[in-house]
Amino acid sequence: MSDTILNVEHLNKNFGKKQVLKDVSFSVQTGHIVGLVGPNGAGKSTIMKAVLGLFNYASGTITIDGEPVSPTSHKAMDKVGALIEYPGIYPFLTGYQHLELFSKDSTSKDQIMDIVDKMKMDSYINRKAKTYSLGMKQKLGIALALVDRPKLVILDEPMNGLDPQANKDLRTIILDLAKQGTTLLISSHILSELEKLIDDLVVIDKGQIVYTKSMAELESGSKKLLVLKTSDDAKAKEILAQNNYQLDNGDKFAIVENDQTKMADVIKLLSDNGIDIDDVQHVHSDLETSLLNLLKNDKVKES
Amino acid sequence: MITLVKQETFKLLHKKSTYAVSATLLIIMTVFGVLTRNYPKYWGDPKGLFVTMFTGINWIVLFMIAACSSIIAMEFQYGTIKELLYRKYYRGQILVSKWITMLLYSIYFYVLAFVWSMLLKVVLFNNKFQLSDTYQPGHSVINSMWLGIVGSFLTVWLVLSLVLLLANIFKSTAAAISIGIIGYFALSIISNIMFVLMQKWDWLKWNPLNMMNLPSQLVSSSFHKMTLLSTPEMVVGSLVYTAIFMAISYVIFKRRSV
Ligand SMILES: Nc1ncnc2c1ncn2[C@@H]1O[C@H](COP(=O)(O)OP(=O)(O)O)[C@@H](O)[C@H]1O
Ligand SMILES: [Mg+2]
Repeated sequence: MSDTILNVEHLNKNFGKKQVLKDVSFSVQTGHIVGLVGPNGAGKSTIMKAVLGLFNYASGTITIDGEPVSPTSHKAMDKVGALIEYPGIYPFLTGYQHLELFSKDSTSKDQIMDIVDKMKMDSYINRKAKTYSLGMKQKLGIALALVDRPKLVILDEPMNGLDPQANKDLRTIILDLAKQGTTLLISSHILSELEKLIDDLVVIDKGQIVYTKSMAELESGSKKLLVLKTSDDAKAKEILAQNNYQLDNGDKFAIVENDQTKMADVIKLLSDNGIDIDDVQHVHSDLETSLLNLLKNDKVKES
Repeated sequence: MITLVKQETFKLLHKKSTYAVSATLLIIMTVFGVLTRNYPKYWGDPKGLFVTMFTGINWIVLFMIAACSSIIAMEFQYGTIKELLYRKYYRGQILVSKWITMLLYSIYFYVLAFVWSMLLKVVLFNNKFQLSDTYQPGHSVINSMWLGIVGSFLTVWLVLSLVLLLANIFKSTAAAISIGIIGYFALSIISNIMFVLMQKWDWLKWNPLNMMNLPSQLVSSSFHKMTLLSTPEMVVGSLVYTAIFMAISYVIFKRRSV
C-alpha cells in the first residue's frame, strides 16, 4: 500500500469541448524516478497540474500517499515540490529571496544554501531575478521545487534551457535525491533526455497513456542490429535468409542479432558466396526509435 | 493565513515602487502645503487643504488602485500563480491573504498621510488655524478631516473591490487600473446628470456611483437631498457593494484554470 506514492485512476479532463486527458491511469512507486514522455501537446503538463490540484477534472481519482487530491483537497501538497511549464519568477526579488519566500518555515538557511550550492547558483543568487538568463531562471525554478526536500518532486520538462553542464548537474542531483528515497515524476518530449535517469516510463499521446513499463523491460525489448553494406545486397539478403538469419524490416539492410549471431560467421558466409562486404556496423536500436515506433504502431484510437 | 499575509507583505516590501510611492505621497502633500502657505491667494483656504490631508486623500486612491490591480495581476503576468496555488493552502486563502495585505496597506497609507498632515500643519500653518476651528456647520476642522477619512476609506474600498475583481477577470493591470480610476473620478463628471436621473427614477439612488458621495454627505448634512439616501443607508450600501464585488472575485478565482 505504502509503496505507491502517487496513484492516478481513470482521469478525464476537458478544456471546453476538447477532451485533453482520456481515461489516464498510472501509478508511481515510492523512491522511483518516473519519466512521463510524449510529444508536445500530449497532455503531460495537464496531468501534472491535475496531480497538483490546480484544476477540476471531469472524472477520476488522484491520490498522493493515500490522500485524495483536488482543488478543494490540498493537504497532500505539503509533501510535494514542483516546477510546471516555465518557472514563475518575480523580477523584483533575488533568487535567494524567492527561496526564502516559498520555502517552509521549517526549512533552514543551511538547507536553502545547500540547494543553491548543488545547483551552482552561488554567483548570482543575490542578484535580482530580472537580470537572469532563461537557464538561470530554470535552475531557480528547479531549486524552488527541491528546497523543502519534498517526498514527491514533479518536474515538467526540467532540462529546458539548461546548458550541458547544468543538465549534468541536474541529473546528479536527481539521482542523489532518488537514492535518499525521494520520488520523482519528470516529463519530457525527448526520451533520450531521461533514458539514463528513469526507472519507469509512462508514454502519453493525444491524452491517452499508450505505454507504461519499467525501463529494464523496455531496454530488453529493444533489438541489436548488424547493419551491412555489400556489393550485392539483394543476393546477400537471400543467402542470409536461407541460413536462418533474421533480417530487419527497416529501411536499412540489417540482421537482427541474437546471442548466437557472430559477425565473423556472417562475413565468412557472404564472402564464400562471392559477395564483398563494404561496411559492417553494430547498431543498438535506441529507445528513441522504439518510442517513435511505438507511437506510430500503437495508433491512438480516436474516440 | 498569517504565513500567507507575511508572504504577500514580503513581496510588497521588496518592490522598489512601494517606497517610491510613499515618498511621492509625502512630497506631493508637502508641495501643496508649501504652495498654499506661500501663495494663499491662488491656492485657497489652508483649512480645506488640511481636511483633504493636503490632497493626500485623492492620491491614496490612485496608489491603492495600482497596488490592488498589481497584487492580483502580477501573479498571472509573472506566471507565479501556479507556485502560489499548488501548495497546501487553498485558493480562497490565497485570495483573502491578498485582500488582507491590501487592507493593511490602505490603513498604512491613511496613517502615513494623517501623521504627515499633522506635521505639515504644525510646521507650515501653526498660527493660521486651529484644529478646533469650525470648518463646516457643526463640524470642526479635525472632525471634518476624520469624517472625510472614514467616508473616503469606505468608498475607496468600494472602488478597490471592483479593481480586485477586474484584475482577476482580465489578469492585467492596465484594464483594472484604467477602469478603477475612471470609476472613481467619473463621479465628479456625471454626478449632476445622475442626480437629475435619480429624481425621475428613484431606484437609481441605489447605484454604486451614488455611494461614492458618502464622504461629501458625512460632512455636509444637506447632501442627502441630492443623494436621496440617509447616511446609514449609504454606509450599508457601500459595504454591500464591496461585499458583492469581493464575492464575485472569490468565485472567479476559485474556478480559474491555471
Ligand atoms: N488552459 C487551457 N485551455 C485550453 N486548452 C488547453 C489548456 N491547457 C492545455 N490545453 C490543451 O491541452 C493539450 C495538452 O496540453 P499540455 O498538457 O500542455 O501538453 P504537453 O505538456 O504534453 O505539451 C494541448 O492540446 C493544449 O492545447
Ligand atoms: Mg507541457
